[in-house]
Amino acid sequence: MKKSSPHGEVILGAITSWGVLAVLAALPDEGLEWRWSMMRTVFVNPERCIGCLQCEVACAVEHSASQDLALAFREAPLPRKRVHVQAGPVPDTAYPNKCRHCDPAPCQRVCPTGAISRDASGDLVLIDAKRCIGCAMCAVVCPFDVLTFHPLAGALTPEVAVAVKCDGCEQRVGRGEVPACVESCKVDALVYGEINELMAAGRLRESGAVLAAMGSTPTVTTNGDPLAGWRSFGAARVSVNDTAQGAWLRRRREAGARADQNGNGEVSQAIDGTTREEGTS
Amino acid sequence: MSTTYDGGRQLGRLTIHDDAQQMIDRAREEGIETVWDRLRAQEPQCGYCQLGLSCRNCAMGPCRIDPFGEGPQKGVCGADADVIVARNLGRAIAAGSSSHSDHGRDILEVFSAMAHGETSGYQVTDEAKLRRIAEEIGIATEGRSVNEVAIDLADELMANYGTAKGSLSFVERVPALRREKWAGLDITPRGIDRENVEMMHRTHMGVDNDYVNLLLHGLRTALADGWGGSMIATELSDIMFGTPTPVISEVNLGVLEVDQVNIAMHGHNPLLSDVVVTAAQDPELVELARSYGATGINIVGLCCTGNEMLMRKGVHIAGNHLMQELVLVTGALEAMVVDYQCIMPSVVDVAKCYHTKVISTSDKAKFPGATHVSFDPRRGAEIARDIVRMAVEAYPNRNRDRVRIPVAPVQMMGGFSVEAILGALGGTPQPLVDAIVAGTIRGAVAVVGCNNPKLALDFEHIELTRKLIENDILVLVTGCAAVANGKAGQMMPAAADLAGPGLGAVCKSLGIPPVLHMGSCVDNSRVLQLAAALANAIGVDIDSLPLAGAAPEWYSEKAVAIGAYVVGSGITTVLGVQPPIFGSANVVSLLAGGLDDVVGAKFAVEADPYKAALLIRRHIEAKRQGLGLTFIASEDIRDDEFAAAGATVGS
Repeated sequence: MKKSSPHGEVILGAITSWGVLAVLAALPDEGLEWRWSMMRTVFVNPERCIGCLQCEVACAVEHSASQDLALAFREAPLPRKRVHVQAGPVPDTAYPNKCRHCDPAPCQRVCPTGAISRDASGDLVLIDAKRCIGCAMCAVVCPFDVLTFHPLAGALTPEVAVAVKCDGCEQRVGRGEVPACVESCKVDALVYGEINELMAAGRLRESGAVLAAMGSTPTVTTNGDPLAGWRSFGAARVSVNDTAQGAWLRRRREAGARADQNGNGEVSQAIDGTTREEGTS
Repeated sequence: MSTTYDGGRQLGRLTIHDDAQQMIDRAREEGIETVWDRLRAQEPQCGYCQLGLSCRNCAMGPCRIDPFGEGPQKGVCGADADVIVARNLGRAIAAGSSSHSDHGRDILEVFSAMAHGETSGYQVTDEAKLRRIAEEIGIATEGRSVNEVAIDLADELMANYGTAKGSLSFVERVPALRREKWAGLDITPRGIDRENVEMMHRTHMGVDNDYVNLLLHGLRTALADGWGGSMIATELSDIMFGTPTPVISEVNLGVLEVDQVNIAMHGHNPLLSDVVVTAAQDPELVELARSYGATGINIVGLCCTGNEMLMRKGVHIAGNHLMQELVLVTGALEAMVVDYQCIMPSVVDVAKCYHTKVISTSDKAKFPGATHVSFDPRRGAEIARDIVRMAVEAYPNRNRDRVRIPVAPVQMMGGFSVEAILGALGGTPQPLVDAIVAGTIRGAVAVVGCNNPKLALDFEHIELTRKLIENDILVLVTGCAAVANGKAGQMMPAAADLAGPGLGAVCKSLGIPPVLHMGSCVDNSRVLQLAAALANAIGVDIDSLPLAGAAPEWYSEKAVAIGAYVVGSGITTVLGVQPPIFGSANVVSLLAGGLDDVVGAKFAVEADPYKAALLIRRHIEAKRQGLGLTFIASEDIRDDEFAAAGATVGS
């Protein structure tokens, strides 16, 4: 397990319950106009990754035909993970690596068959397996080395390897759910949201920590518990992530309702999915 | 991603019972966390663990096998998926077998102390059974006192826990053909503790690296439970507390009394609950309760402690495993007295929201936040009175505005020990054999096991059981399955109307229900004894009989041990929840296929109770065919007759 964040020394023992409330209150979740171009992404907190590999399993099952763990790994061709928890250079470190959906995307530029495209929302870079010829040019130029090559259901020739990478769980997100890797992550190493909001939430957390360290706000009482500060930091981080994620889902519903009034069928369909989810929860 | 089954019909429903649903709703209104909330927080659950592919047996690990083949296919030590899955299953069997067997040892130790005159509140209640069992295992009884015989029996059974002899005493009850099979496979159980210790040894790194060899020892470990630890628990409990006979009781949260001191006895062991039932009738304590404005003291059961009390004394039972938090939410409980097994640590947290005292009693099962009263059989009666007094003293703290007893109770019949069943049949199994041969009863199925919040509470138990009795299949129930069926009204003689024409007529002529309550989970040893008696009456091995087992809502390691000893004894068993073995195709293929060739029985997994009933009916008809009895060919048993019925169930 990682022992400190980049600001670990400051944050340990400094975040307060007051700080958590401030973060929740100050998060800019109202008044922003929804636009499809907001950059939603799976954000990685590598210092929180404990290497459990749950995201890898969840990803593979999500991309299986059966959607059932016990059946998925018997399918042919095998469903493939698109997130890779790569061990770091020293023990007990790992970075969950996946496609960053760059824009402009180097892979898209070099793909000779036009198999790689950007989706309508602008958030995702997608591969059409039917058009992939397995030349691996995308892998050559990828800044993050996230492409793998495997036979894939939906490819033109079943036994030939094609490029495989994260598709942003576009179907899940369309239903108003977070991507499978994010749902499976118990420690918030992977969180989902609009990137500027996630950053703003992070900055709020850090300003709370810095101000507390400066003595401008009450500091946490440790009661002799050396981990008290660290736990407060964890609690604050989870609250921030939850709030950022919740803000995105809420705005998305409001935008959907507006789009529905304007007769936008595509959004309407996605929002129906969201509504059903709420009805059963 | 999590593998959550909905029983094919009950997606999103937590329970089919009115009493449970009302209390779940109330818990949510009051912000009280329950098992369903915690399951949701855990989801999606670990995929490696669900498949049995994680190993943390040593510090070179922990290790995982990638089921999708891209990552590691071996642990650090070199163990592949087969070895890791088999090791994990082996340890689960050992844990379950140890639990039942340690329960048996506790009874045995008190039995021995009683025989030496060192206890208070215990005596031999069924002397005839004491003498019968003593003679059965070669102890002289002629002209000897009860205590002399009991001391010798206790010493003999204590030796069963070690390695003193070639095999366990009660293995003599196993049909000869089955014993030969076990000897051929080298899986005859030799000593109760020995098999458990050996399993822990074999699953240490670098010992048994052959998954087949490991799984065979898994069967032996489980058989040491079924024909050893569990059987000792059942038989000695009968001798001390009485062999059950048919008795009418009541079930569901409605058994709580709004104007009485309510005490719930929760857990598994009858040692304490038996003396508490007596103490609750103590005139001094009843008078104390009256002085606080209560009209009396009401003892109710939960889980298998509840089943033990119901079987022998007709004590009302409030619910099964998943009702343990909800019974607290009624606000009507003065005390929950617990011993061990299946008692969620969370009961202490839920009880804090009310005036209820949680009283732990076993020194091997302590609960931070509970009041611990160390149980000592030498002062059994005295301790029982102390516990009842603590509950009575809590009565004035009850907040009457928060008391909600949701429903009226339902009647159920219990008390079907093997002795009682044979008694109802006129002393021999022959009438049951005749009915099976004639085809009026097609066969018998033991529906057993727990509750699991991944399934709608009790839905699988009730629907599977009803489909089976509709098909003229006699159902034997124990543990949580018994409580489920009781709540559904399927365990009174009048339920014969729900059964098919053959089984229904037999039940009506005998005045018994089509679903027979055989007791707690250690009392699955009664099922083994009945199966052995039937096999011996016909002169065949158990695996030839038209029998099956089912654990539709199992959750516990004890259920894994039960499933393994039932299969090892020759009875095919259907599980409603996937066991964590699917990471190894070889292990699955052995348990769901290959085992049939060596022990004449295997496992199946079917989450849909209607499909499970169809599978069982076909299995039973195939066994009938094997015995040369009238049978219906598999293809003539129509799927659509096993669809969900329109009738509503519930309390």
